[in-house]
Amino acid sequence: MWRQLRPIALVAVLGFASPAGAVEGTRAFFPALEAERGRLVINGATDIEAMEPLIRDFQETARDVAIDYTDYVTNDLYRDADIACRLKQPFGDLLLSSSVDQLVKLANDGCALAHVSPETRDVPAWANWRDEVFGFTFEPSVMVYHKDFVPPEDVPHTHGELTDLLRFKPDYYRGRIGTYDLRQSGIGYLLAFLDAQQASTTYGRLLESLSRAEAVLRCCNNAVLSELDSGNVYIGYNILGSYAYAAARRNGKLRIVLPRDYTLILSRGALVPTGAKRPELAGRFLDYLLSERGQDVAREKAFFFSRSGALPAEVDGPEKLVESGIGRPIRIGPALLAAQDRLQRSRFIDDWTKLIVDTPVRLRPN
Amino acid sequence: MKRRETSLFWRLVLRVALVLCGGATLLSAAAWYYARAAADDAYDRLLLGAAIQITANMTVDAGNLGVTLPSSAFELLGLAERDRIFYRVVGPDGRTLTGYDDLDIGINVTAARAGPVFLTTEYRNVPVRVAVVSRALSDPSFSGWAYVVMAQTTEARRGLAGELTTRAMILVGIMSLLALAGTVLAIRYSLLPVDALAATLRARDPQDLTPVEADMPRELKPFVGSINHFMGRLDERVTLLQRFIADAAHQIRTPLTALSAQVDMLEDDDLDVNRKRHLGRVRDRVSQLARLTNQLLSHAMVIHRSDSVRFKPVDLGDIARKAFRSTVPITVDPDVVVSFEDSAEPVFVRGDAVSLREAIANIIDNALQHGVEQRLAVRVRREDDRALVEVADDGPGIPPAEWAAVTTRFVSSKMGEGSMGLGFAIAAEVALAHRGTVRFLEKGGRDFTVILDVPLYREGT
Repeated sequence: MWRQLRPIALVAVLGFASPAGAVEGTRAFFPALEAERGRLVINGATDIEAMEPLIRDFQETARDVAIDYTDYVTNDLYRDADIACRLKQPFGDLLLSSSVDQLVKLANDGCALAHVSPETRDVPAWANWRDEVFGFTFEPSVMVYHKDFVPPEDVPHTHGELTDLLRFKPDYYRGRIGTYDLRQSGIGYLLAFLDAQQASTTYGRLLESLSRAEAVLRCCNNAVLSELDSGNVYIGYNILGSYAYAAARRNGKLRIVLPRDYTLILSRGALVPTGAKRPELAGRFLDYLLSERGQDVAREKAFFFSRSGALPAEVDGPEKLVESGIGRPIRIGPALLAAQDRLQRSRFIDDWTKLIVDTPVRLRPN
Repeated sequence: MKRRETSLFWRLVLRVALVLCGGATLLSAAAWYYARAAADDAYDRLLLGAAIQITANMTVDAGNLGVTLPSSAFELLGLAERDRIFYRVVGPDGRTLTGYDDLDIGINVTAARAGPVFLTTEYRNVPVRVAVVSRALSDPSFSGWAYVVMAQTTEARRGLAGELTTRAMILVGIMSLLALAGTVLAIRYSLLPVDALAATLRARDPQDLTPVEADMPRELKPFVGSINHFMGRLDERVTLLQRFIADAAHQIRTPLTALSAQVDMLEDDDLDVNRKRHLGRVRDRVSQLARLTNQLLSHAMVIHRSDSVRFKPVDLGDIARKAFRSTVPITVDPDVVVSFEDSAEPVFVRGDAVSLREAIANIIDNALQHGVEQRLAVRVRREDDRALVEVADDGPGIPPAEWAAVTTRFVSSKMGEGSMGLGFAIAAEVALAHRGTVRFLEKGGRDFTVILDVPLYREGT
């Protein structure tokens, strides 16, 4: 299965529109506003649309810097960065990825350069490991539903409610639930792995319900969201709040729910790889991302949620996300190495695949 | 090159400081060693705990060894916030189940069967601490030993050890400084009697050769004893010498008087010019000898008195007048104008009237013998807290180059033309005994002046 998917990823990287529409895997160049005196190469697993406002605003402060941004799928980004690190080859000056466990693994393997500045000192401890991996966003993992297809009484507010909904109305929601394909998406794997750790029973039941409901699997956030947009999928599970909110702004029918039992909060990671040719430029951009100005732009234009601010309008969720204990920030640190263990990972994905993908429909319990 | 003055205080301080430095270094090294051991011990427990958690999560499922890596194991290691973690799980067949394949670093994992093994080594060019934990699998389908190799970089350990060492060193430093300060105070206190002894000796009258009586610590007793013993012997010698000189002078005086009488009796009328001149010289020499003998006796007396007579307030003007009267003979050359000028008020000094008179008389005598041509003036006056007796004459005076020498015995300014004898030596001796000096004023606008300068007596001093 993995082998068959590779060509798609390659096509995506080459910049062709994939069948799913606006998916990750494209390259964009932002020329310097003035005579170019430095070129920063960023390899990210973050949509260009989300990064663009940040990059353009950064260029206001560094007018002689051009930025070459390539968007990858998280797993591809990790694979290429890992290979480049082993071969001691350059692979961009800055890596951005939502799959922070992969960045932590890279840092643990000695593939990262430390960066210390006044900005990095203000980063909370859970979003900074070794001054090498920094979390620069605040993105709850949310459920998204299409208002036209999900009646108000059906709207799930917890993981348990989603499980129950799929159990009680299996026929209506069959093939209408969208989520990550763990085999392709690093962030999908990370969220599922952490789900399993947060509440293993709930997770088991949810997985079974998803299997029975013949969940629609997509590589990436935006692929799931575009299915929602078109009405093919009614409910998206474990979507990153930032993408979900951007989609909801485009399509007023999409609604966002933060689960009230627990909400995983991801801080998108940034790392300067050892092979960086312009680590000082990468550091400048990183400082910008962590600075107040960068955080403001991120909240208003790119990722919409922030550590300190209130939830954006029209998002259904608990008032005080973190203080209430419902929001669970994913601590960027060595604990994530457990998620990156290859045996663990392959078994987790195997189990998941067995349950969600391989089980013939006729064998699925009704 | 300036030679450093040796000091008991600095010697002691230097040596104590050296010992303290050595001690502090040793203690710091020990603190570093223990801090490292403590840090290793603390973090080894985390490492062991994590490894054990992983071994506990090994399962045999359908003949396959599986292992679930608990996040908690990594969270445990994550307590060392900045440290990187490497691990390797090895199955009974020696194959790596999961983790870092190259985490081999020459470990003989079988050694861990008896119990956990720790070692410090390098992995990927960074120092790491490694723990190896074994687990015996006794599933019927699958038995043997499985191992977990857990490695962690040593930043937190070194950080903790560094912090502990730094704190210990600060304490050691403070202790050393306190000890040094205490030592300095103690040494200063212990050396106080030495200063006191020195002050006592310094404050002594120069003629005082009696034993030093002072309250001294035991350690200084031998020193004081030696001083006293030496002073005793010196006193004996000096006394003996003085007595000998006095005796000798006394013995010489009698035959000298006889000799003088005999010479006077010699008729010189019938002598030819040549012999008359010889006889005149004999007379001169005899009178010189008589004067010298008198001076010797006077010197002995002065020294004897300064040893034995208690000083008391006396009027220097009175004494100077008496000396003046007794010294200037009635038969003085009528061409010479002599004058005595007393101070308007009494000039009291603390001293011995006889010695002082002797001193002043000697100065006047000296002027009469060697200086005076037409004028001799003796003045007594006070200047601030000094009492001065000035003897001025219009003679040629003594050149400044010889001033220091003439106050020493038997030195004359006019070599070969009759010695000045002991006059100034006696005056200087007396002045010294009265804490004063004999000074000279050069001949210039005024006459050549010899000044006896002694401190004024004040009530209560």
